[in-house]
Amino acid sequence: MKKIKIYNLAVRNLRRKYIRTVVLLLIVAVVTGTLLSATIFISGMKNALRIGTYRLGADVLVVPAQNEAQAKAALLAGEPTSFYMDRSVFEKVAKVDGVKKASPQLFLKPSSFTCCYNVDVFLIAFDPKTDFTISPWLEKNLKKPLTDNEIITGREVPVLVGDTIPFFGTPFTVAGTMEPTGMKFFDQSVFMTMDSAYDMAANSKTKSLQPITLDRDKISAVLVQVQEGMTPERVAIRIEHDIDGVKAIASDEVISTVRRQLAGLLKGILAISAVLWGLALLMMGFAFYMIVNERQRELGLLRAMGAKKGHVFALIISEAVIISITGGVIGMAIGSALLLTFKKLILHSLKLPYLLPSAGVLIELITGAVLFSIITGLLSSLLPAVSASRMEPYEAIRKGE
Amino acid sequence: MIEVKELSKTYSIDGQVFRAVDNVSFTVRRGEMVSIIGHSGSGKTTLLSLIGGLTKPASGSVLIEDRAIWSMSDDELSAFRNRKMNFIYQFSSLVPTLTSLENIMLPTAFGDYGEDVAGYARELLALVGLKEKENSYPSHLSGGQQRRIAIARAFINRPDIVLADEPTGDLDEETEAEIISLFTRMNKDAGTTFVVVTHNKDIAALAARRLKMANGAVTEISGG
Ligand SMILES: Nc1ncnc2c1ncn2[C@@H]1O[C@H](COP(=O)(O)OP(=O)(O)OP(=O)(O)O)[C@@H](O)[C@H]1O
Ligand SMILES: [Mg+2]
Repeated sequence: MKKIKIYNLAVRNLRRKYIRTVVLLLIVAVVTGTLLSATIFISGMKNALRIGTYRLGADVLVVPAQNEAQAKAALLAGEPTSFYMDRSVFEKVAKVDGVKKASPQLFLKPSSFTCCYNVDVFLIAFDPKTDFTISPWLEKNLKKPLTDNEIITGREVPVLVGDTIPFFGTPFTVAGTMEPTGMKFFDQSVFMTMDSAYDMAANSKTKSLQPITLDRDKISAVLVQVQEGMTPERVAIRIEHDIDGVKAIASDEVISTVRRQLAGLLKGILAISAVLWGLALLMMGFAFYMIVNERQRELGLLRAMGAKKGHVFALIISEAVIISITGGVIGMAIGSALLLTFKKLILHSLKLPYLLPSAGVLIELITGAVLFSIITGLLSSLLPAVSASRMEPYEAIRKGE
Repeated sequence: MIEVKELSKTYSIDGQVFRAVDNVSFTVRRGEMVSIIGHSGSGKTTLLSLIGGLTKPASGSVLIEDRAIWSMSDDELSAFRNRKMNFIYQFSSLVPTLTSLENIMLPTAFGDYGEDVAGYARELLALVGLKEKENSYPSHLSGGQQRRIAIARAFINRPDIVLADEPTGDLDEETEAEIISLFTRMNKDAGTTFVVVTHNKDIAALAARRLKMANGAVTEISGG
């Protein structure tokens, strides 16, 4: 070492008491990791909610009354499901006051993705003549209508454009894949036209080991776009009033369910984080109080050598900042790793949509977490550092003896 | 160089005022070597600390180069200590996380020193006969070796004043002689002023003036 700097002294001290240093590092790591993964998680859900509801594109979803729970599970968590009602519901819905556009859809649940992967996919068949949710996407991205043996797949279905996949014995060609939305309803779905779905069902009797029965006058749901100046809730009430045996789910209702769940989750996570942070501050503060106490003599000697109050203050603060930056980085690495590892598990048990925030937002969150851990280090060592710098050198040297 | 005027330091123990240093006055001229003897507890260490500005007197003043040290701000006083003086302590005073060489260099961390402090630190290390212990940590050194490192450190900032508290306390005669010759050299060649608390006859003999402390009071027993 050519010259000795305060920083070198700090590092040496941390290395000397390495067990304590490791414990402090872990404390900071746990707090930062928890905080960061919590914020990434929450912002991911908000993100998904924003994009997902926008993509749903329908204001009201009309389903058979007894299948309300299944429909919501499908929308929120993308759980494949299948239920049917008469096509007449579609015609009735189209005539209800306040309905601008209506379009039928079929929900089918293949027992498994038979080709090569073991992924749960959700088959959604739409009616190209009336559709207003998928067709705009097709026009923009595919620039041609979907033909009878073509499908569009969500981002999480492991296939490539041009692949051929059989459903219920009928081969389909992948014509396009959608960008990720964070909603499994889209990401794990396969879209086809209703005509191909009926044909596929008819052919399944001879071609598939798992034949399905699907009459051409059956549909699963009706998607509704309401007229300007009408709220989805009001139109939903009218639909339920006019038509027997159906449930009209307003999109706001879906979103508000998610929002409520999210708000509860947020509060819980915030409370836990606050408690964790408080504990970490206390423990670090105590540790630094001890560090200063047991090093009184050394600090007094430094003062006698000509170290100013500011030098002693900087020495203690540097130790805290080194610990908090290192601990913060470790915590972020572990936190993100855990988040990625358990993402599926957490999401599955929560039944909430999720989409990883954009790189920009991630960088913001990570910078925030680093700053936060530095502030934690500064706060916890501030008082000990001040009291260390205020000691009278001779007293400090004597007391440490 | 050093002017001690009616200096007192008191401690209150169980409500009783105890005068560790009691109305002491004396002066030390530039380049002088002054020795102090006295029984244990007579106030020698306290006096050195007062001269070095490590503790505030109850009354009286210390002037160094005609500047009253307690009229300086804390930062000024620290910088002043860093530039002008250095201490040798009665007890071991090395920083355990630093090597011998780094310990010697340590005072230079708190002021503006040239890049080659390491060179001078090595010279001093050789002067105290511990060249080969450059990279040893204090825990791997004997008590006497640690003390010699502390003595070497006392000269790294080329101080005008060295305040030494029993510097040869636990050294054998041969090493003692080395330290005495180092002190002599610094005193004669560099003109360093020394105030040395010692019971060692040879060091005391080296000093032009000898002071005796008893119950906090100082009397001149020779020189002056
Ligand atoms: N902080 C303090 N509080 C109370 N009493 C103190 C304090 N510092 C020193 N003393 C007392 O002041 C007196 C002088 O102490 P000092 O350390 O100066 O003695 P000394 O002459 O250096 O002794 P020794 O030769 O044993 O080192 C002692 O009686 C000691 O108990
Ligand atoms: Mg003493």
